[in-house]
Amino acid sequence: MSYILPIGPYHPALEEPVHARLYTEGEVIQDAEVFVGYNHRGIEKLATERNAIQTLVLVERVCGICSHSHAFTYAMAVENINQLEVPKRGAYIRVITAELERLHSHFLWLGIACHIIGHDSMFMHIWDERELVMDLLEKLSGNRVNYAMVTIGGARRDVDDDLRREILDACDKLKAPLDRIVEIALTDKTIAMRTKGVGVLTREDAVRLGALGPHARASGVNIDVRKDSPYSCYEDFDFDVPVVDSGDVFARVVVRALECYESIKILRQALENLPEGPINLGTKLPKIKEGMAVTRHEAPRGQLTYMVVGDNAFNNYRVIAHVPSYKNTPTVPHMLRGNTVADAGLIIASIDPCFSCLDR
Amino acid sequence: MQVQEYKKIMIDKDQIVPVAERMRKKEIWLTMIHGFVNKEGQMEICYDYQVEPVIESYHVVGEMTVPSIGDIYDVAAQWPEREINELFGVTFEGLDVSKRLFLPEDMLETQGKGQIMVTPLSELRRLNREEAEET
Repeated sequence: MSYILPIGPYHPALEEPVHARLYTEGEVIQDAEVFVGYNHRGIEKLATERNAIQTLVLVERVCGICSHSHAFTYAMAVENINQLEVPKRGAYIRVITAELERLHSHFLWLGIACHIIGHDSMFMHIWDERELVMDLLEKLSGNRVNYAMVTIGGARRDVDDDLRREILDACDKLKAPLDRIVEIALTDKTIAMRTKGVGVLTREDAVRLGALGPHARASGVNIDVRKDSPYSCYEDFDFDVPVVDSGDVFARVVVRALECYESIKILRQALENLPEGPINLGTKLPKIKEGMAVTRHEAPRGQLTYMVVGDNAFNNYRVIAHVPSYKNTPTVPHMLRGNTVADAGLIIASIDPCFSCLDR
Repeated sequence: MQVQEYKKIMIDKDQIVPVAERMRKKEIWLTMIHGFVNKEGQMEICYDYQVEPVIESYHVVGEMTVPSIGDIYDVAAQWPEREINELFGVTFEGLDVSKRLFLPEDMLETQGKGQIMVTPLSELRRLNREEAEET
């Protein structure tokens, strides 16, 4: 018997508004549609009535998880237009915040994925470890969510020696729990049965549909802006890009878990080699010069792109934000086809979607 | 410190599809399609491709009707094309716009006939206020 099954816009697992319509034959999904736009706040429009400093505050509010990524990418665009070179220490602090953000985002997603498949003890274990990262972010920035670590021309807060040592210690402390999490993720039967072969996105489809970030890397696509087009100071660090070929939910779990190791690797290098010097250029309120710039940053969920157009005024002429979920969400119907209704929630969540980012 | 490069290339609307086909053949990612109304009041539509490590941005100026590249880049092109259609009223030939992507259906009547980005925010607020007073 065929029927149409609506999911959302209030999804029980994601707590974000998205509506999926599943066209089913018995328990099997034949086709699906995804509807977004429930949280459209007109951020791009609002940015045209704000100056660069006000826009940093605004774009941080696009997303509660990857707020630093938005401010980081927007600031890089303005700096490119105005031809400002960020002091090395400021660039390192930006990277430290970005990698801590990736760690907490991946821990968050891994926890939620375990919760969805019913492995709640694992969910609590992972979120317990995440608290360590959240505490570091709070000590670093004073906030758990919107860190406000970026200003035009560098970083807004310095990392003192005590905090530097504390984050380095935390990198050591995270190693054992992370090993345990990866071991369970790779060997646990419950996780394997719920995720292996589920929601497959082939490499061909990932390329055709333009998937990005860990979602694409779990389908065998080696794409990472930090390597492909290095920016800020990422060229200073030695790290790998984990790529898995199977394209299923299990591969997405593995890629994100392995990426946590790489973030710790980058953090360690950045903290051990933190350069001396100023953290920013002391820029107060810059006029955005005439011109345009496109900048990209590998946010936790994938490539985040900002385009800024300036016309020699304080306010932006135009700001465009393209978030990773913009590219990954349209792949969801392709992944849902042929799977059962029971797996739909997990498949939607497996791209680590952010509808707050997507809707802007 | 490295800065990401950005290369702007002006093209006619006839070249949109051949450029997309060429890029697709080379497995080059379509970073985004976006647009804005430039200072001369003309619509500028930009197609950004990731020719690593550079972004090649193909700009089409002064056109309000352009061919869709949705059949070449699938949803990676269809979603941004639908967004530009909603925000600026640009017509993409061959694109299905029967459903709204970001904005609600009734937005069309009250907020600048589908050209949200070209109407100042103050004007949009005034229109909303007038509509609220009428109802």
